[in-house]
Amino acid sequence: MLKVNKLNAYYGESHILKDVSVAVDQGQVVLMMGPNGHGKSTLLKSICGLVEKVGGEISYSGEDIIGSAADKIVNLGITYIAENRELFPYMTVKENLKLGAYSKNARANEKKNMEWVASLFPKLIERQKQLACTMSGGEAKMLAIARGLMSDADLLCIDEPALGLQPSYRLDVLEIIKEISKQGKTVFLVEQNIPQLTEMADKIYIMEEGSISFEGSKDDALNNEDLKEIFLGL
Amino acid sequence: MVFEIIDVIISGLINGSVYALMAVGLTLVYGVTKAFNFAYGSFYNMGGYFAWMLLIPVGLIGGYFSVFFVAIPVFFVVGYLLEKILISPLRKHDDWEMKVMMLTLGLSLFMDFGYQAVFGPRIKSLPGMIEGTLELGQVVLFHQDIVIFILSVGGMICFGWLLNNTRTGMAVQAVAQNPAGAKIVGIPKDFIFAATFAISTIMVGLGGILLSQKTFIDPMGSTNIMIKAWVITAFGGMGSISGSLYAAFILGMLEAFVGWHFGMIYVQIATLTLLLVTLTIRPRGLMGRE
Amino acid sequence: MSLKRMVLILCGFYCVMGIMPLFVGDTDYIMNILVMILIWAVVASCWDVIMGFAGIFSFGQVAFYVMGAYASAILSVSLDIPPVFAIMMAGVITGMLGVLVGLPCLKLAGPYIALVTFAVHMTLIPFLKGPLGRAIGSGGSQGILTIPPINLLGFAFSSEQLVPFFYLTLFLTIICTLILAFIIKSYWGTAFLALKDSENFATSLGISAFRYKLMVFAITSSITGLFGALYAHYVGMLSTKMLSMDVFTILMIMIVIGGIGKYPGVVVGAVITVTINQLLAPVGMYRPLIMGAMVVVLVLFLRDGVIGLAQKFSPLQRKLG
Repeated sequence: MLKVNKLNAYYGESHILKDVSVAVDQGQVVLMMGPNGHGKSTLLKSICGLVEKVGGEISYSGEDIIGSAADKIVNLGITYIAENRELFPYMTVKENLKLGAYSKNARANEKKNMEWVASLFPKLIERQKQLACTMSGGEAKMLAIARGLMSDADLLCIDEPALGLQPSYRLDVLEIIKEISKQGKTVFLVEQNIPQLTEMADKIYIMEEGSISFEGSKDDALNNEDLKEIFLGL
Repeated sequence: MVFEIIDVIISGLINGSVYALMAVGLTLVYGVTKAFNFAYGSFYNMGGYFAWMLLIPVGLIGGYFSVFFVAIPVFFVVGYLLEKILISPLRKHDDWEMKVMMLTLGLSLFMDFGYQAVFGPRIKSLPGMIEGTLELGQVVLFHQDIVIFILSVGGMICFGWLLNNTRTGMAVQAVAQNPAGAKIVGIPKDFIFAATFAISTIMVGLGGILLSQKTFIDPMGSTNIMIKAWVITAFGGMGSISGSLYAAFILGMLEAFVGWHFGMIYVQIATLTLLLVTLTIRPRGLMGRE
Repeated sequence: MSLKRMVLILCGFYCVMGIMPLFVGDTDYIMNILVMILIWAVVASCWDVIMGFAGIFSFGQVAFYVMGAYASAILSVSLDIPPVFAIMMAGVITGMLGVLVGLPCLKLAGPYIALVTFAVHMTLIPFLKGPLGRAIGSGGSQGILTIPPINLLGFAFSSEQLVPFFYLTLFLTIICTLILAFIIKSYWGTAFLALKDSENFATSLGISAFRYKLMVFAITSSITGLFGALYAHYVGMLSTKMLSMDVFTILMIMIVIGGIGKYPGVVVGAVITVTINQLLAPVGMYRPLIMGAMVVVLVLFLRDGVIGLAQKFSPLQRKLG
């Protein structure tokens, strides 16, 4: 479904991603782990058209999407859910969700997705008239995920959904990701604060210093001596 | 004396309403695209000349009604193309804010002298939309003033409705509030930038058609209008629509009272003083956000 | 650009300028252009220091130029102060006005500064034309028509005697250019570049953004006013026409041709722009039209000015630059 081949990405002068190759298949949950500041987020952003200087190949369902404008990529069915939320602060919850369904494809299914999101996040719907900037960190994070789901995307690139959240919210995040996956959506996830996620991942990547240092199933990962350190932290 | 003051208040309200229409357009462009348009006053004159051309030499059937009907799409296209051709290429570089200011200032000079070359250096007057007066006791209201007030307030209400109730309107607000977030949800930023610029061109162009009936079309008057619109915008807080509304009426009133009591020559000095004092106390204007 | 290279270019330029009167000294038309080049080169350089180096979006440069011109003219006409002292006092006055405008202004965000300084420019017109201006001797809409020429030790420098006036201007130009070059390249220059790049970073180094900006604003305003004053005594008359948009645009073209923050490119810009402006004089009212179009085209296509262009096409220059 998604194929990234020899991707290079830069922020100004600094070379962030070095020849990164990744493959995500339809319906999978793929987990990207590794130390902070080593390029995991940049990979997700590059896929979603949010990084200016990129080189290499990215194809989605056979279509070459590298260097495409972000709005075209969203329309193809890929959505980025940002670690720092990127909500519209002076709009209500409802308005934020509506804008999540901005792209052409999403508009057609807006009603259906709104119902789905309402069933996943009953707390958000209770506060649909509240301004986004008045929400707590955890609630805002949920809203960001909900807004991403409104885009009707088949591939969700979720960037550290549990970062900085209380444990109770983390479990919510886990449940939601399970639910998303159940709907047949593909999930490409950067996250290492939820140990249970490794259990449900179909594939695990580890990125260090801008390159993929490990690729394999969860069993390979857990049996790998070199990687113990990373998983011990969990 | 009392009736004189009422007259001054009325004139302040009418000017304020048209200023509000123009300033809201300007603040919208700044809020969304962060572009500082120094040619805004020349777009105002474009409105005046456009109406003059259609009404006098062409003699369009239907008078002002047809003028508005033709003007709105034409101004939209002009604004859209100008943004696409002149401003959007600059946005790729770091120092684009400064470059946009310079470019639009040059554009303004080009347009002003272009008007002179085409229409001649003398001022022109537009016929009134409607004749007659309304007498309420000793207060006399011109029908024309009432129509101007209704049209500009109506235009703003219409604009506010579009902004809050259409998908594109919401997208415009989204880009203003969080450009990165807007990109993530798939809002085509370039289109929104150009569309916002085009909408502001419509608003100032209509302001030009309305207000030029009361004053004149002066090919060299555009800088004054531009400064006025920008002062209102900065006074209210750049990017804040409600701030611009308040500021427009406050400045409309200030202008009317200073002009009446001290003379027109002091209006600009009073305006600048008010702006400087406001910005010293509140560096982001009345209602500007960080 | 290295200091050495900058000084070399400037030295070359002023040497060429210095020997020009030997060839064209008796052609008043060309000598007038040369004097205007010298004056505008300094005014435009000041603007480049403000915009390109200090990163202040000031649109009040012409305003300070006119303030200096009017200050000196009023002092010498109304108060009978000898022009030499009037010019110096004009420099001090505009420096103080610079502080006055800078104090409320420089704490604002970029576009607000542009707006307020431009509003100062626009307000000068009704001020000088109106009763307030007339009260201090601005001559209202008529302007000031009989400004005495500079008289130094019994020798009159005026537009009657272009060669001596040229050398007087050249002398002042070189002094002011040295001051500007010093600002750009000294510790201050480094501080300003740091300010432009990151205000927070600079603040953490202990560089007070506001104080430095105010200082550079005052110094450049003062120099600008000084040259405005010089101009007033050169042409002998003043009116608010100097505040019209085409003068502003001419200054802007200089800095765009030279490249913002590419000092001394702006000096080259002044040479080209003043010459073009003179050549365009016969087309009358189409001149500002062409000037306006030039700004649009140059801003779009000449990104870093002539210096940027030179750096792009010369590999040697790129290494040295």
